[in-house]
Amino acid sequence: MSKKKSGIWFFFASVRLAIVLLLLIAFIAMIGTLFPQREAAVELVGRIPPGLFSFLQKMQIFDLYHSVWFVLLMGLLAVNLLICSLDRFPAAWRRFRLRPVPREPDAFKDLPEENLFYPESDAKKAADEAASLLKKKYHSFQQADEAGSVYLCAQKGRFAHFGVYMVHLSVLVLICGAVIGSVFGIEGSVKMLEGETASGINLRNGNLTMPLPFSVRCDKFTLERYKNGAAKLFQSDLTFIKNDRVIRSARLLVNHPVDFEGFRFYQASYGPVPGKKATLVLLREGGRRDIMNVSTGYTFELPGNEGTFQVLRVEDNMMQMGQAIKVAVRSEKEAATFWVFREIDRIKKVVPDVFEQVPVFNPGLFRPYTFSLLGIEEKYYTGLQVNRDPGAPVVAAAAVLLICGLMIVLFSYARWIWIRIDQVEGRVRISIAGRSIRNNVGLKREVRHLLAKLKDNLENPK
Amino acid sequence: MIDTTILSWVTFIYFGAFVFYLFRMILGREFWGKLAGWLALAGLIAQSVALIIRWKASYDLGIGHAPLTNFYESLIFFAWTVVFLYLLIERRLKNRSIGVFVMPVAFLIMAYASIAPGISNRIEPLIPALQSNWLTSHVLTCFMGYAAFTVTFALGIMFFVRKAAAHDSSGVRVFIHLLPSESQIDDLIYSCAALGFIFLTLGIVTGSVWAHYAWGSYWSWDPKETWSLITWLTYAVMLHVRMMRGWRGVRMAIMAIIGFACVLFTYLGVNLLPSLHSYL
Repeated sequence: MSKKKSGIWFFFASVRLAIVLLLLIAFIAMIGTLFPQREAAVELVGRIPPGLFSFLQKMQIFDLYHSVWFVLLMGLLAVNLLICSLDRFPAAWRRFRLRPVPREPDAFKDLPEENLFYPESDAKKAADEAASLLKKKYHSFQQADEAGSVYLCAQKGRFAHFGVYMVHLSVLVLICGAVIGSVFGIEGSVKMLEGETASGINLRNGNLTMPLPFSVRCDKFTLERYKNGAAKLFQSDLTFIKNDRVIRSARLLVNHPVDFEGFRFYQASYGPVPGKKATLVLLREGGRRDIMNVSTGYTFELPGNEGTFQVLRVEDNMMQMGQAIKVAVRSEKEAATFWVFREIDRIKKVVPDVFEQVPVFNPGLFRPYTFSLLGIEEKYYTGLQVNRDPGAPVVAAAAVLLICGLMIVLFSYARWIWIRIDQVEGRVRISIAGRSIRNNVGLKREVRHLLAKLKDNLENPK
Repeated sequence: MIDTTILSWVTFIYFGAFVFYLFRMILGREFWGKLAGWLALAGLIAQSVALIIRWKASYDLGIGHAPLTNFYESLIFFAWTVVFLYLLIERRLKNRSIGVFVMPVAFLIMAYASIAPGISNRIEPLIPALQSNWLTSHVLTCFMGYAAFTVTFALGIMFFVRKAAAHDSSGVRVFIHLLPSESQIDDLIYSCAALGFIFLTLGIVTGSVWAHYAWGSYWSWDPKETWSLITWLTYAVMLHVRMMRGWRGVRMAIMAIIGFACVLFTYLGVNLLPSLHSYL
């Protein structure tokens, strides 16, 4: 790396900049949750002064996460991460390469009393025990004998030096993945009825439609509900067609997307469409009984030119009394408009004189016919989300890298341990010292543990 | 329902544990601390049993799912993770003084779950979006994160109590001796925040993977997602200022409290904003 580091380099290498950027990103993200975003922004029209609205719109407050502000901050963060990592990596590499030496002059300086003890055994045995302990706990160690004293050292967690760079790299990869997704990705949706075929999708950005290189047909849409009315399951049976040939059929469920030719289909939503179908029974006094499927606007000539019958409304829950349809029957002599309830028998049980109270609830108002409603079948559209995101695998890789890196940064520590066995006033003395990049509390605990273990091994030989 | 009955008892048990931790502080007798510790453990076991009963009950209803799917269940699980994590720390540190700061939080969460209006404690069937194997891992990691941050917050409060009491020379000596030193609390704040940060990261990642399968996008800037990112950034700043700028003590305690405010908003405040994430 070049030795000429300019002011700009230092500016971008600074932790202070990183902290300011992280806080600014957090702040902008927070603003974005307070204002409605994208399509939802329409709800503010008319509720705030138009001048303010257009100002906010110009400031891109209504699409903050794709705004110049946000992209700029992300760009700065990326540069900051890159420069600060490049700036510090050589030092980390040197620390990684550095090995402790047994005869480290400063290691035992100002060692607290609690870090040493005086065993009963001789120096040779103490040194052997210390060596085997280090071998067991750190896999390898180094030893130096000098003027009757033995010095040992070991290390662990060398890779901890790299954890932070893994995390920084992962954030950069994440940003790359997001950029790839936003440049090359496609986010679209399509609504279909049973039996319909779609060969294009509505793109999320703008009101454009994008043709698909194939078409997709919804053969069947199924909706199941729990007793409490909440949706239990909804699914679409799809058929993918290319060049008039059926390529594949698949069942699409929530949480189980279907991939086809680089596009991923999601069962995103469903909703009712106008045009509910009611099944109606028409009974002529002492005569024929007809069953028909009708929907709003349906018109029908009664047999024998006795009148015209028309469906005005189809209701799922008319005045809390269940399914009902409103019909009008007209003949040359009279005209009647009335409701046909599905549960008319139950209503009559609760209110016996319902027909006297509300004549229009009487399904036999037009003589000599009586109507009854067998049921209403709701019609639904299925809402599919259709995406292509070549950035997703990159983002997934970033996530794995991020988690591994964080584990290393936060839970592994580069540590060096030294043990010295020497003689003071005719007694054998064992001293243990340590050094750690971070987490000195953990280091203290480790040294204490080593001391206890060594003491135990010496006092209770196996 | 037997499980909700047990859970309301657990609420009182946690309150009792808090009271005994308080006795230990005031009277300076370790006996009360031990009693409080055992009581908290008993509460945790009872709560675990209740959760398992609830889990089984959902299978008996034919709508089997882990008890982590509505606001009530999330609050209960939140309290569980807080107590679980605290007892782990207590065992590891062999110091019972954090209990007096953590147990009231656990108690308040439990109490809120049972008395706040509009919180249904019924076992409800899962809507299609929640019918996923990612549910358990996502909720588990998020709430472990929330719990770690809650303990961090309690430690932050403890730091200020310790600091205030150290300046006050009148008759609170016993109380002070039982608390860990300021530097110990500071280290604990860091460790807990780091633990929470890992879990929050895992929670966000599992949530993204799930969103990728359920909503068709790993990130959709839903308010809950956005606030979890804000929380993540806040703790990222906290870890950076400590490691790189050498922040300690009061500043870290303040960061612990700010971070917890973000956690609370992510968990509760977001419900005030329109969101895809409306189940919890």
